[in-house]
Amino acid sequence: MTSPVVHVAKHVLSGALLRGARQDVRTVARGWRWGRRSMVPRSAEPYVPAQTTEPFPTAWARTPVATVVRDGLQRFGLRPLMHSGITPTVRGLDVLDQLVGPVVFVANHTSHLDTPLILCSLPDTWRRKTAVAAAADYFFDTWWRATSSAMVFNTFPIERRSGSMSATPGDLLADGWNVVVFPEGTRSPDGWTRRFKPGAAFLSQTQQVPVVPVGIRGSFAAMPRGRGWPVPGRPAVTVRFGEPLLPLVGEGPREFGARIENAVALLVDEDATTWWDATRRAARGQTPAMSAPDTAQWRRVWDQTRPPVVRTTRRIWR
Amino acid sequence: MSRPGFVLEVDDRTPPLVVHEGEGFRLETFPRGTRVVYPPESLPGIRDADGAIRRALLEPTNSEPLPVLLTAGMRLTIAFDDISLPLPPMVKPDIRQRIIEQVLTMAAAAGVDDVEIISANALHRRLTAAELKDIVGERVFRSFFPQGALYNHDAEDPDGMLFIGETDRGEVVEINKRAAESDLLVYVNVNLVAMDGGHKSVPIGLAGYKSLRHHHNSQTMVNSRSFMDHTKSAMHHSAWRMGKLLADHLKIFTIETTLNNDVFPDSYGFLMKREWEWGVRDQASMLAARRGLAIAPKSVRHNLYQGMRAPYGLTGINAGETEAVHELTVAKVHQQQMVEVQGQSDVLVMGVPYVGPYNVNSTMNPILATCMGLGYYFNSYRGQPVVRKGGAVILYHPVEPDFNQLHHPSYVDFFEEVLSTSTDPAVIEAKFEQQYATDPWYIHLYRTSHAYHGVHPFYMWYWAAHAMDHVGDVVWVGADRKAVERMGFRAASSLQDALEMVSGTVGRSPSITYLHNPPHLIADVR
Repeated sequence: MTSPVVHVAKHVLSGALLRGARQDVRTVARGWRWGRRSMVPRSAEPYVPAQTTEPFPTAWARTPVATVVRDGLQRFGLRPLMHSGITPTVRGLDVLDQLVGPVVFVANHTSHLDTPLILCSLPDTWRRKTAVAAAADYFFDTWWRATSSAMVFNTFPIERRSGSMSATPGDLLADGWNVVVFPEGTRSPDGWTRRFKPGAAFLSQTQQVPVVPVGIRGSFAAMPRGRGWPVPGRPAVTVRFGEPLLPLVGEGPREFGARIENAVALLVDEDATTWWDATRRAARGQTPAMSAPDTAQWRRVWDQTRPPVVRTTRRIWR
Repeated sequence: MSRPGFVLEVDDRTPPLVVHEGEGFRLETFPRGTRVVYPPESLPGIRDADGAIRRALLEPTNSEPLPVLLTAGMRLTIAFDDISLPLPPMVKPDIRQRIIEQVLTMAAAAGVDDVEIISANALHRRLTAAELKDIVGERVFRSFFPQGALYNHDAEDPDGMLFIGETDRGEVVEINKRAAESDLLVYVNVNLVAMDGGHKSVPIGLAGYKSLRHHHNSQTMVNSRSFMDHTKSAMHHSAWRMGKLLADHLKIFTIETTLNNDVFPDSYGFLMKREWEWGVRDQASMLAARRGLAIAPKSVRHNLYQGMRAPYGLTGINAGETEAVHELTVAKVHQQQMVEVQGQSDVLVMGVPYVGPYNVNSTMNPILATCMGLGYYFNSYRGQPVVRKGGAVILYHPVEPDFNQLHHPSYVDFFEEVLSTSTDPAVIEAKFEQQYATDPWYIHLYRTSHAYHGVHPFYMWYWAAHAMDHVGDVVWVGADRKAVERMGFRAASSLQDALEMVSGTVGRSPSITYLHNPPHLIADVR
């Protein structure tokens, strides 16, 4: 019988230790998706425990130093990078001329492109003062993802599972920051808009700040769920800002939320047609719904992956 | 809040899963669609265990409070489950120690002088003094062991056994004489799985071969569907008949405890988690454990595993009349371990871990590995077996032909002599059991050394009789080829090979279910 020391020495010198370790690390790296987002088997999803961790602190990302660093990252990194992958067209920015922040930007959400699109579409003064509400369970699940998204996009975590807004958006608005909110809560799986949750309307009402609706068209076709980079060919994507909305007297969050949803739908329709056609359809209550038609999944995806036609000819009414 | 158990369906998102195999574990990639049965998460342990024990003794079920049953001048015997429970042994203080100390405190207050404490080891090996001390604690040990009042049950002591009578089926009931002649027998049980406890405690734990042979035989074992459901187990029916007879002759105060699923200590915490929820720390711990075990010499690995102590939490304690207490106990065990499984599958996969009831501080030899896999784990069901009739079972264990000569001397002969003749439980029972059960040398070793009784390996083989009768194929992954061939099984080097080998029985695309055990679970197969 060999002594333990000899046994270990043989194991190490023969290279078995290294080979086994390499094999194990490879198995774990593949199985646990190192460098990528971890995934839960589908049948185990109902048993995933609710996150009970403390919210990731993001106040540091809004300090003057971080703001300057982010401005550089967005201007010289994010914007050129985005333009290298897609062809963005921005309309309706003139609405911001009438406004003094803070405001809540509310947009439909179909792609990871939406956040950089909105940020890079904004005038610099607005962009520097804009923060983005991001799902705590998705963007703040690991320290490195939380840090990087807070640094580059000025994100802050909101808890979407519980259905309640975290206290942070209100605090940010009170501090003079504009806030980007995607009231659907998640990216659309088929490009069609899901029902808006009333959180953004509630936020606007409690903080008495206007809501600026934002309609985004083409981002699903450019980079749908599951893609990490836009499809080849620099597809066209449009971002259209709408007239600010304020809650009416006696209007509840649900009613105001519905009005915001209609405003976003109107912008998408306007972008697809003309302001005049869209306005007339809206007056008749015939604005095409952004929600998915009752058709097969493939048809819904097929429809939404069609790149938008961007008119380049000059129009009187935009 | 503990999450319930559930059945995972392996998909493209499922990482490799842990499969135990003796003193080690592997990461196995299962075919897509494989069902994996996960036990419920650990229930929270009772914070004030001593308070719960006191309440159970003072407010028993269907019985007068213990202090009322204790009177000066009486003969009191306390019997307790031996080292085969719980698995792995629990961190100190053992729950039995806490209970026995409170019982003795009440006995002292009542002026009871004649007290003896017996380890109810039936035909198991005698516990060493250190093992007895581990279970009952230093205070009890020092007070009773030197005086000879704390000892192991000896089922072969001709003067130490008392014939009680026969059941209406002609089953002999004979138990420890001291216990039988006591004014009160207090039995302290640890109910790790639903099979334990009830009338399995006294009529089996304090019995001898004459009684045990009535239910520990191949016929009874085949007709127990399963051991985890005493209402459907022929073995338990027999024990229940004996228990009822005993209850007419002897006042028994049963104390049963249930434990949660905290099987592994913190350093092996990743083994208690669902794999896709492993964080960086868990993955690092697993990698370190894998490499450490791979590099460690066998003796070090053995000591590492055998030295593991489970931080079990107490989930319930009930005391009083045996049957009433046991119903409460079983309900608690089910709450901790039951998982609903829809329908049977063609193939059942199980990883056999390093420890079973009969190799604590010892070696898991091939017969014990078979008992653990095809006996206990296969029978971890309620309703119907997880695998269909004629299906296949795939087990993971090295099955090295290593035997502990001190603890398992008759196992060596059983493996070499009996299994080389036949592996059919009924045949070997008829041909060899009597010879081994009455062999003077084995009896001598059982009584004076620390050997399991000569008949014990037969019982281990009978535990697996139901599985052997039910399935068409048994393949061991990573096992010693000769050892499993001796037992009538086959060996494969990987899961893929094993599935290939059983394809003749279950086809090329069988349904597969893997029991992710330990921690303990019972599959409630609908």
